[in-house]
Amino acid sequence: MLHAEHAAWAPGHPAARSPVAIVRLTARKAVRSGAIWGYIFGLAIASSAVSYTRLYKTPAQRDALAAAYGSDKATSALFGPAPQLQTVAGFTVFKISMTLIILGAVWGLLTSTRLLRGEEDNGRWELLLAGQYTRAGAAAQALGGLGAGVFTLWAITGLLTVLTGLDSAVSIGAGPALYFALAMVATAVMFLAVGALTSQVAATRRQAASYAAWFLGASYAVRLIADAGLGLHGLIWASPLGWVEELRPLTAPQPAALVPVAAFTAVLAAATVRLAGTRDVGAGLVPDRASRRSQLRLLGGPAGLAVRLVRPAVIGWWVAIAISALLFGLIARSAGGTISGSSVQQVFAKLGAQGSGAEAVLGVCFLILAVLVAFTAAGQLTAARSEESAGRLDHLLARPVSRWRWLGSRLLVAVVVLLASGVVAGVFGWAGAASQHAGVSFTAMVEAGVNLTPPAITISGIGVLAFGVRPRVTSAVVYALLAWSLLVLIVGSIGSTSHWILDTSVFHQMGSAPATSPHWAADGVMAAIGVAAALIGGIAFNRRDLQAE
Amino acid sequence: MGATAIRTQGLTKRYGNVAALDHLDLEVTQGEVVGYLGPNGAGKTTTIRLLLGLINPTEGRGEIFGLNCWRQPVQAHGRLAFVAGEANLWPSLTGGETLRLLGRVQGRVDEAYRDELVARFELDPAKKVRAYSKGNRQKVILIAALMTRADLLVLDEPTSGLDPLMEQAFRGSIREARDRGQTVFLSSHIMSEVEALCDRVAILREGKLVEMGTLAQMRHLSALTVEATFEGPVPDLSGVPGVSSVQVDGRVVRCQVRGPVAPLLKVLANADVTELLSREPSLEELFLAQYGGGQDQGVQHAAR
Repeated sequence: MLHAEHAAWAPGHPAARSPVAIVRLTARKAVRSGAIWGYIFGLAIASSAVSYTRLYKTPAQRDALAAAYGSDKATSALFGPAPQLQTVAGFTVFKISMTLIILGAVWGLLTSTRLLRGEEDNGRWELLLAGQYTRAGAAAQALGGLGAGVFTLWAITGLLTVLTGLDSAVSIGAGPALYFALAMVATAVMFLAVGALTSQVAATRRQAASYAAWFLGASYAVRLIADAGLGLHGLIWASPLGWVEELRPLTAPQPAALVPVAAFTAVLAAATVRLAGTRDVGAGLVPDRASRRSQLRLLGGPAGLAVRLVRPAVIGWWVAIAISALLFGLIARSAGGTISGSSVQQVFAKLGAQGSGAEAVLGVCFLILAVLVAFTAAGQLTAARSEESAGRLDHLLARPVSRWRWLGSRLLVAVVVLLASGVVAGVFGWAGAASQHAGVSFTAMVEAGVNLTPPAITISGIGVLAFGVRPRVTSAVVYALLAWSLLVLIVGSIGSTSHWILDTSVFHQMGSAPATSPHWAADGVMAAIGVAAALIGGIAFNRRDLQAE
Repeated sequence: MGATAIRTQGLTKRYGNVAALDHLDLEVTQGEVVGYLGPNGAGKTTTIRLLLGLINPTEGRGEIFGLNCWRQPVQAHGRLAFVAGEANLWPSLTGGETLRLLGRVQGRVDEAYRDELVARFELDPAKKVRAYSKGNRQKVILIAALMTRADLLVLDEPTSGLDPLMEQAFRGSIREARDRGQTVFLSSHIMSEVEALCDRVAILREGKLVEMGTLAQMRHLSALTVEATFEGPVPDLSGVPGVSSVQVDGRVVRCQVRGPVAPLLKVLANADVTELLSREPSLEELFLAQYGGGQDQGVQHAAR
């Protein structure tokens, strides 16, 4: 880890202190992650553009699509405005940009809180500061490393977009392609800075990430109101996500919107460096309460402990799911009205949402909720593995607790959390829809909510399998499976894709309730795959050595 | 002789071609306090993780009170308490909450004794683990183990991070445990701690057990340091049977003696000795002798 400094201290280089050791250290991790996500971004853009050219070949088809979506306020609120749907470029922007903008923001805030506050939490930061770096200088260097990471994200996304543009049917020039890629990583840039700042404010990594995530949620909500056709479009300038939307890549480029993006990033970066220079290392501006009354409930064993440990993160996910479901419910009726009888119905049908009206819209929206529920599951698995990797599991397993009991408790808690997440989605979706008199039944919505859990259970089971067989890759396996499934879901929704590939997505088999009734048989199969994988994983875990890091 | 608390037979753990622990045969009787010594990487923690069933032996077997460490861990753990060298606890729980959790999981707690230990180690149980210093975290897991009054205490460098006052409190607690008939298996590299507490000592080197016995037995096997000051000329001691590492410093001679001291005494009696000092090697010297600490090469040669 400290190679750079070691080299500087080697005999023969008495004064050769590397002034950029922390830049390199941070960059090494950020660039690797940026490269992986660059490929995902690039492939998502490519698949979106290419599949449009296959699905909507004639001008008539394209006009129908534009007529249906182009002026719809509900979809505009959710996914951003949809101008020029008659063109590949316009459709690609509409289809993929909101997903990438949000993914980029999540990547940014997780990466910077991990590499700044996370390094401080585990004590490695102090080792660096014990060298000849000032606190502010070290923070500035880390920001430089993060910059290298996001540059990689942009470069690879841009390269793949340029290559996609060379396809004669797609035909997007290199300049516009790179500008589009820049717009797609603009939130990543800004939320790297947001995460860097919250890393100074909060006292723990989790706290820092959750402050940044709340800011992201608020930015999305402001943008949503601005685009909802309520005459409040000016609000778009109050949201970082709105600035990115105003960049209008590929359709009506407005590079002036880069000014607030750059200014926001610069101000936050400067504030980060300044705060890092003035605060105590290891502490945040918001003090972490060192003492409190002990709360002895739920500390009777591994299951209670699991509840205590996952509670803060799970509550965060529930709030996110509840708000999303409520919004989806609120727009379902008006969105449903505009798509009836249009070609959008074909698109929705490809996603499995038969029929028309509010239920069809909700059927598609609930796929997005399924992704959130799956993220909740992935988080639980990663948390379980980190109990082992940090050595905390030793304290339980050196006591009369069997490995089965510990793992079973964690999984039981995870399954209950997932089912509850589904119910939250159903109830809040219903509340939103019912307030608009969309005419969807409470039972159908709760069923649709419960229908969200089988993919998450499959992901959990495969995660346990990885945990049992090769624990160090647990987190990589669950997030890769999730990212792949999401990608296949996006691609499959537009193009005609081989069902072999579609079947590898955990989201493919679930019925898009409430548009259709849930495919309980398929759900059962998915859950059974999850349970079987978890059983094999459990057996492997029972036989292997504990592996701390 | 009581029952056997710990028994290992040919216990081996290999990682690829590297043997972290190589055919360890060890027996600890109930009621004994055994010190387990070795430098970093000698295999002490590997031994303890094998005994706890956290890792699977490549070969051989380990038993705790006759229960197989790998196959019957839950039953075995019902009779032991463990203190890890690194107190990686849950940062969001307070010390008090952690004690509650670990006590409940263990299934038995002497609550009066727990409160006494909290006072003795001056632990503030209302603080979050995140806010504790390393020493304070170590106190939490020490108290968590001691409060169970388990039949066997397995301690892996338990005092890392404790200040000298707390080290004394720790020693007091271990003596109490011994007086109650509890068995203690103490891995450590604090020699004074082992010397003060342990009935027997095992020394591990590169995964192999190189010495096992009481301190008296080990001293017997090792060299005695003798220092003599002469009024007149210094006699040549190099040829005397049992004597080695002779160092002459003016009229002072320092040497090591192994086995009977009579031949050396005869030579000294014939010279004009004004001062004669002899002392047994400390545990630290015995240990360094095993590892060639560099300070005292003579002891190293003598011991070999």
